[in-house]
Amino acid sequence: MCRVLVAFALIFLATPALAGDLAVSVRDAAGRPVGDAVVTVTPAAGVPRGPIRFPWALRMTQQDIQFQPYVLIVPVGATVSFPNLDRVRHQVYSFSRGARFELELYGRDESRTHTFASVGVAALGCNIHDQMLAYIKVVDTPWAMKTDAAGDVVLRDIPAGPATLRIWHPRLSGRGNEVARPLTIATAPARQTISGDFSGRATLR
Amino acid sequence: MRLAELIQKLLMFRNLRTRFTVLYMGLFALALILSGIAVATAVTSSARRMVSDEMASAGAVYGQLWASRSAQLRQGATVLAQDYGFREAVATDDAPTVRSALENLRARQGVDGALILGVDGSATSTGINPDDTALDNLFRGLESGDVDSGVLTIRGQPFRVVAAPVNAPVLIGWVVFAERMDATQMRNLEQLSAIPLTAAVVTNQTPSAAGQLPVTVQTAEGPSMQLAHALPGFDRTAHPALLLTYPLQRAMKPYEALFLWLIAIGAAGLAMLMAGTWGLSRGLTRPITALDEAVHRLQKGEYVEAPVTSGDEIGRLAASFNAMVGDLRDRESRLTHMALHDQETGLPNRLALERQAGGHTEAWVILFGVDRFEVVRNAIGYDSMARLLATLGARLSALAGGAPMARVGAGALGLIIVARSKGEALEAAERLAGAAQAPIEVNGAPVDITLTAGVAGHGGAGSGLSSPVDRAAIALDQARASRRPAAAFDEAAYGDPGDNLSLISELMTALSDGDVTLAYQPKYDFRAEGVTGVEALMRWTHPRRGMVSPDLFIGMAEETGHIRPLTEWAIRRAIADQKTLAAAGHALLVSVNISGRLLSDESFADFALDEVATSGADLCFEITETAVMDNPDMALRMVDRFADAGICVSLDDYGSGLSSLTYLKRIRADELKIDKSFILGLDDSSRDALLVKSTIDLAHGLGLKVTAEGVETPTALALLRGMGCDLAQGYLIGRPIPLAALLDRLGEPVEDARTAVG
Repeated sequence: MCRVLVAFALIFLATPALAGDLAVSVRDAAGRPVGDAVVTVTPAAGVPRGPIRFPWALRMTQQDIQFQPYVLIVPVGATVSFPNLDRVRHQVYSFSRGARFELELYGRDESRTHTFASVGVAALGCNIHDQMLAYIKVVDTPWAMKTDAAGDVVLRDIPAGPATLRIWHPRLSGRGNEVARPLTIATAPARQTISGDFSGRATLR
Repeated sequence: MRLAELIQKLLMFRNLRTRFTVLYMGLFALALILSGIAVATAVTSSARRMVSDEMASAGAVYGQLWASRSAQLRQGATVLAQDYGFREAVATDDAPTVRSALENLRARQGVDGALILGVDGSATSTGINPDDTALDNLFRGLESGDVDSGVLTIRGQPFRVVAAPVNAPVLIGWVVFAERMDATQMRNLEQLSAIPLTAAVVTNQTPSAAGQLPVTVQTAEGPSMQLAHALPGFDRTAHPALLLTYPLQRAMKPYEALFLWLIAIGAAGLAMLMAGTWGLSRGLTRPITALDEAVHRLQKGEYVEAPVTSGDEIGRLAASFNAMVGDLRDRESRLTHMALHDQETGLPNRLALERQAGGHTEAWVILFGVDRFEVVRNAIGYDSMARLLATLGARLSALAGGAPMARVGAGALGLIIVARSKGEALEAAERLAGAAQAPIEVNGAPVDITLTAGVAGHGGAGSGLSSPVDRAAIALDQARASRRPAAAFDEAAYGDPGDNLSLISELMTALSDGDVTLAYQPKYDFRAEGVTGVEALMRWTHPRRGMVSPDLFIGMAEETGHIRPLTEWAIRRAIADQKTLAAAGHALLVSVNISGRLLSDESFADFALDEVATSGADLCFEITETAVMDNPDMALRMVDRFADAGICVSLDDYGSGLSSLTYLKRIRADELKIDKSFILGLDDSSRDALLVKSTIDLAHGLGLKVTAEGVETPTALALLRGMGCDLAQGYLIGRPIPLAALLDRLGEPVEDARTAVG
C-alpha cells in the first residue's frame, strides 16, 4: 500500500526568465488518469510573502445533496463560504484535526463561512446526509492546483531551483494520503508523471 | 474350480436326507440373507436420506438464523456508528464517552461484547477482552472489506462478530458487536430441528470437509452422519463451520423393531423349512435306505426282500432287486445241488457224503462196490447203469433207515451209519450188502448184482488218508483182495503209501550204493546128491531201516516201474557171481526171478538174451505161472525166445494160483517149482503128499524137472526123494546166504553136506 511507483520523464524547455513551468500528470497503478489530485510545489527557497490568491472561488456549495466541488484548494487563513443551494437543510461538519468545525443547520440560500487557520485537510460531511463528502485542502504555497479529468495539471512560473513536489488525493495510499518528491525546477518547462496507488482510503483525523 | 470342490466336499454327507435338508436350508438361508440385506440397505439408505435432508434443512435454517441475527446486530451497530455524537466522540478520541456509548448499546442489543476498532488498529472494548490475534484477524477482515460479519475466535472461543463502519465522514473505525456462540445457542438451534441432532460450531474445519452433503464419521456414539455448514469467518487459517451431528444408531432406532421381526420371521421360516425338508426327505429316502440295507445284508450272504412301497423308480428298483435276489438264490441252490450231487444218477456225491460224515465220532462210512462193475455196465449200458445205481442207492438208504447215501465212485455207493464199534459197523455193512443184492429191475429186466463193502470210521487218519471215504475205498479194495463180502479199513495192511514212495526213490540209490545184494539159496539135487544150483534172491540192507522185506520193495518196484533196472542189475550180478563160483570150481546153475511185468517187455528180453549170450552164462529164469496167464501170448513168445537161447525157464510157485494145464502144456519150461505151501504140509497131510506126487508125475510126464520149495524137515526131504522129485530147496538144504558164505560152504567136504541132508 505504501509502495509508490514513480517514473520520471523530465523534459526541459528553454526559458529566458528565472522561473519555469511544471506539467504533472497523475496516473493510478493501472495508468488511468486521476482527477481531483492536489499537486503542490514548494520551492526550497520559500514562497513569496503576501497573501496567496487562487483563480477559483473559495466556496464549497451544497447542491443536489452533494458538496461542490469534491476537492477545494484554499490558502491558509482563507475564509471559505458554504452556500446551501438545496431546498433541504444541511449541517456541515469536520472532525479533521486543525479544522474542526460545525455549521449548524442552515437552509436554502443561506451561507456560512469558516476560516481555515492551519495547513491540512478537512474532510467535510453532512450530519444529515451521510453520502455527502468533500475535502478542503489548505495549502501554504501559491503553486497548487488539482488535476483535471485527464489527470493533468500545469503549474506556471515556479522559481527555478530545488523544490518539493507533493501529490495529495483522498484515496492515495501513503501517509496522510500524500506523496512527496524533491525536484529541481528549471527555467525550461518540465513534465512529471506521477503514478500512485489510488485504491486507498482517506486517513485523516 | 477349487470352490466347487469345496462345496462338493461339504455336501458329502453319508446320509442322503441330511444332504437334502442342508441343501434346501442353505438355499433358503441364502435367500433370507439376501432379502435381509436388501431390506436393511433400503431402510438404512432411507434413514440416511431422511437424516441427510433434515440436516440440510437444519443447516439452511441455521443459515437463515445467522443471517437474520447478523442483520439485527449490524443494524444496532450501524445506528451507533451513525450517531453524530458517537462519531464525534470517536473522532475526537473521547474514550470514556465512546466506552459508555458502547456499554449502553451492548446492553440494549443483548450482546456479549462491543468494541470500536479504529482504522489505525486501536481498539476500545467492553464486555470482552479480545486478544491481539483476534484483533489482528478482525482488523484484517474488516479493512479488506471482504467480510463484516462472521465467526471470530477470541481466546479460543468462537464468537459471532458483526461490524458497522464509522464514517466521520471518512472511515475512522468500526463498531463491532461480539456474541458468544455457546452451548445455549446451540441447544436452541437443536430444538429447531425435527430430529435430535447435535450442533456445534467448529473453527478448525478444513474447507474441503465443509461440503453440502453429510458424511459418515466415527464418533463416540458409533458411526454418525455429519454435515458441516460453512460459516463466514475472520480467522485466516481456520474455516469456521456449523457442525451438525446425528448418530446413525439413533436414526436406525425406529427400524430396530422391524429388523427384529425380520429376524424372527426368518428363523421361524428356517425352522419350518428344516422340519418340512426333513419330513419330505424322510419319505423320499426311506425306500432308498431300506434298499441300501437290503443290499448290505445280501452282501453278507443273507437273502432278503426289499420292501416295494411305491411305483416310482425306487419302487421299480426294489422290485428288480428282489427279482435279482430270487435269481441269485435259485442259481446258488442249483450250483450247490450240482456241487453236491452226481449228475449221472442224481444221487448226492462224495462231497455231500464227506460233509455229513464229518464231526460225528460214531459215524461210519460204508462203501458198497458193485462187483464186476465194468462188465455189468458194458452189458446193460451207461444209462441203465445210472438208473441201477440210483435204485440201488435208494434201496441202501432205505435199508439203513434213511441214512445219508451218495455215489462216490463209478461203481461205488457210500452210506453213513452210526455204530458204536467197528464190529457193529462191519456187521451192518455185511447185512446191508447181503440185503441189497436182490436183483434190480432196469427197463423191465432184472439185473443181478453182487456187492462188496468197505467200512471206515474216524480212526486210521494216520494212514495219510484224511477222508473216511478214502479209507472206506481202501477197505473195499482190501475186502475184494481178500475175497470177503466186507472189510474194515486195515491201516497196518495199507501201510503208509507216502513212506513207501520215499523208499522207492531210495531203492535206486541203494542199487548204486551197493546196499542191495544177492543172496543165494542152494538147491539140492537128489540124483547128484549135491548142490547143483542156487536161486538168487535180492536183499536190501537199508542204512536206517535195516533189512527191507523183499516182498515190500520188489512189489513196489513192480508197481512203480522200477522192477526192470532192479532185474537187470540182478542178472548182471548173477552172471558175475556165477563166474566167481566157476573160478572156485563150482559149476552151479543160477536162477534169477523175472517179474511177470517184464514178460511183456521185449527190450528187456533183448537185454537179457544179449547179456547171457555175451557172457555164456548158465542161467535159469524163474517166472510165475500167473504172470504168464495175464498176457499169455506175449509171455509164451518170450519164454520161447529164452528157451531158444538155451536159458532154462522155471515155473515158480506152482499150485498157489490157478494152475492151468493149458498153459503148462504150451509153455516151454524146463522146471516146475512146487509152491512151499504144499511142501510144508507134506509131513502131516496125505492130501498134500498126493498132490505133490501127482504134480511130480505130471511134470515128469511133460518133460519137466521138479523142484520142491520149502523143504524144512528131513521127513519132507525123504518123502520127496521117494516121490522122485528132482531138486529140493528150503531151510533144511540151506538159507539164502551171501556169495562169500556160499563159497565157504561149497568149499566144505561133501560128506558134511550129505550128512546135513541125510
